Amino acid sequence: MTMAYLFAKVNMQSLKRLARRLLGLFEAAFTRLYGWRWNPIHQAGTISVLMLLVLTVTGLYLVLCYRVGSPYASVARIAADPWLGSWIRTLHRYATDIFMVAAVVHAVRIFTQGRSWGPRTLAWITGIFLFGAGLVLALTGYVMVWDSFGERLAREGGRLLDVVPIFSEPLSRIFAGDGPVPSAFFFVNLFLHIALPLGLGVGLWLHVSKLARPVLLPPKPMMWAMVGALFVASIVQPAPLGSAADPLRLATSTPTDIVVAWWLPISEQLPPGVAWGTWIMAALVALSIPRFTRRPRVGTLAPSVVDPRLCTGCNQCPQDCPWEAITMVPRDDDRPTLVALVDPMLCVSCGICAGSCAPMGVGPTGHSGRDQLATLRSVTFPELAVTGRHAPVAIVCAQAPPAHLDAVRARGAHVHPVPCVGNLHSSVIELLIRAGAPGTIVFGCPPRDCVGREGPKWLHERLFNDREAELQPRVDRRRVHTATMAFGDLSGTLHAYDQFAAAIAVLHVPEPEAHLEVDPVCEPVPMEEASA
Amino acid sequence: MNAARLSVAVVTTVAGLAALAYASAVPLPYHPADSAALRLSWSARPERIEVCRTLSDDELAKVAEHMRQRVSCEGVFATYALRTEVDDELIGESVVRGAGLRNDRPLYLLRDYPIPPGRHRVRVSLLRREKATDDTTGNALSSATTIAPEVDTGLYAGRSARELNERERRTRAAIPASLVLDTVVVIAPNHVALVTFNVNTGALELQAGPPPAY
Repeated sequence: MTMAYLFAKVNMQSLKRLARRLLGLFEAAFTRLYGWRWNPIHQAGTISVLMLLVLTVTGLYLVLCYRVGSPYASVARIAADPWLGSWIRTLHRYATDIFMVAAVVHAVRIFTQGRSWGPRTLAWITGIFLFGAGLVLALTGYVMVWDSFGERLAREGGRLLDVVPIFSEPLSRIFAGDGPVPSAFFFVNLFLHIALPLGLGVGLWLHVSKLARPVLLPPKPMMWAMVGALFVASIVQPAPLGSAADPLRLATSTPTDIVVAWWLPISEQLPPGVAWGTWIMAALVALSIPRFTRRPRVGTLAPSVVDPRLCTGCNQCPQDCPWEAITMVPRDDDRPTLVALVDPMLCVSCGICAGSCAPMGVGPTGHSGRDQLATLRSVTFPELAVTGRHAPVAIVCAQAPPAHLDAVRARGAHVHPVPCVGNLHSSVIELLIRAGAPGTIVFGCPPRDCVGREGPKWLHERLFNDREAELQPRVDRRRVHTATMAFGDLSGTLHAYDQFAAAIAVLHVPEPEAHLEVDPVCEPVPMEEASA
Repeated sequence: MNAARLSVAVVTTVAGLAALAYASAVPLPYHPADSAALRLSWSARPERIEVCRTLSDDELAKVAEHMRQRVSCEGVFATYALRTEVDDELIGESVVRGAGLRNDRPLYLLRDYPIPPGRHRVRVSLLRREKATDDTTGNALSSATTIAPEVDTGLYAGRSARELNERERRTRAAIPASLVLDTVVVIAPNHVALVTFNVNTGALELQAGPPPAY
């Protein structure tokens, strides 16, 4: 059992690396095409929700025109209406396909970023159910049409369901042709097609229930561009309607939507038991991913901790936490303020709280603001002393593409990596500038690609908009800059760096402060003391 | 975004949408072009083979009033040997029985036999496997199960008559002991010849006609 578990875990890690590499290729390609702001891979989750909205709106019209007593004829009438029916039906179909693709991309992305386990398990599990429900929803939609493809799906569905003893009469019999398919079949199918979206709504609510400020839709320009492009495509290329279902004919081919029915030709060749086994195994593997990808919650993956002696009760870290893992509770000493409390079951160790705490009293072990300052002094300052202080310091996210780091280094910058720029305490930047760095450029991930969800956003707010734990006014803002480092956009990275380097080149060379001493309150506090 | 990059983005988007349109209706092969099939499909009640007897007044007195049934029957549902021959060649042979754990549900049958299109002699037989003592089976009503009107009284008077009607109805709807269809059929390419059981005539028949319209 242990060996099997280890085997599965190792394979899962290999799969993760492979998927990351493949997804990285597509991600880079899309960034080159559309830029990181409009990269659809980063927006895969929100695109899924957008498509659900499109499906709901177009589905309302279609369901009003649909007749369970004459399914094919009613769909044919819809398809023949060039003003509304044709493009609405086509849009409904295309949105289905994009939903399926976007949902898969979203899942793969979450998997490759290691965001499928721990407190995110609920989101992963509900995501799998949402995808499954979406697939069934799509299939029932195609059966509703009752063309040759719908009949083919129904036959295969009947064949698979007949081995499960849930119907008094085998389902396949109603497609045999010795009588018309009963309206009850189409009614149940329609009922499923309408009821499942309600379930999807509940599932979606659960899916994002652990998130603070969930983003459900893509940016508006992207949203309207997508809907507009789909609208045009629906008019230019209406979805064809297959021939009417005929149980006494053996169709040589069916107009198949391979995005939702890619499994059909494979399943048709398998005995029902084997097909069921394959589906169940696939579902179990998908559902068990959180089990096989989880990591020991130590080091960078340890939950954040609060030093109650340093906490001023300012209520900033609960506001910044993207996972609602921090709450303010009454203190157990005589101070009049509340104190932050991290729920380790909800904390994903993103470290955003470390950057949000002015007195540096919260953060994952080893990554609090105090730890960041200590690292800066013990590692970066000696390196700076060797390389010199003539070029800006580039603070980069650990997720940044290595090629970009090499390119920035080649420009002479000193690279200072951090787990996530959202963790970065503004005091680090202040200390760098006071130590004589001519400037500091912070490269974050594209906002919708941040593993901490809101790292670049909060960093920018703290540096330039006085969000709590703000960069002190004494720091010359001309020497500080934030930029985005995205896979596939090396030129953008270098352009941002070069522009910043040119901007600070015209400023006078700063002198390091002669007696740069860090206030003792900024020294790391041993955890034993903190917890005492 | 410069013009060249914008052009590439637009072209890629259009190509992506074209791929989407194609993927949503790919003509996927299903059946071979020269295929045809013989399909057997029906749903009917198997015969009930049972032995019935009339209970005496003493026996009836021992059961509660609402449970009293003058005629008591015990037995099983028939099973059938199904044989399918095409051009004198046996293509299918099996024992079929009613659905359910006790085989007391209707007998649902669905068999597809791929055969080449063209003219074929088709012979389908469905023969009961169990032998009844007088081949009237329990559904037939002998004098022993006939209820004299004078004893069909009490709180549930008329029940015997209703039971009698029900038995007659069940007998009429049941699959007969022997069913044979021996016919010649011409099956066009990519068509299905359907053999089904007609409950009204109590016979197997070949159904060939236009498909039902929806």
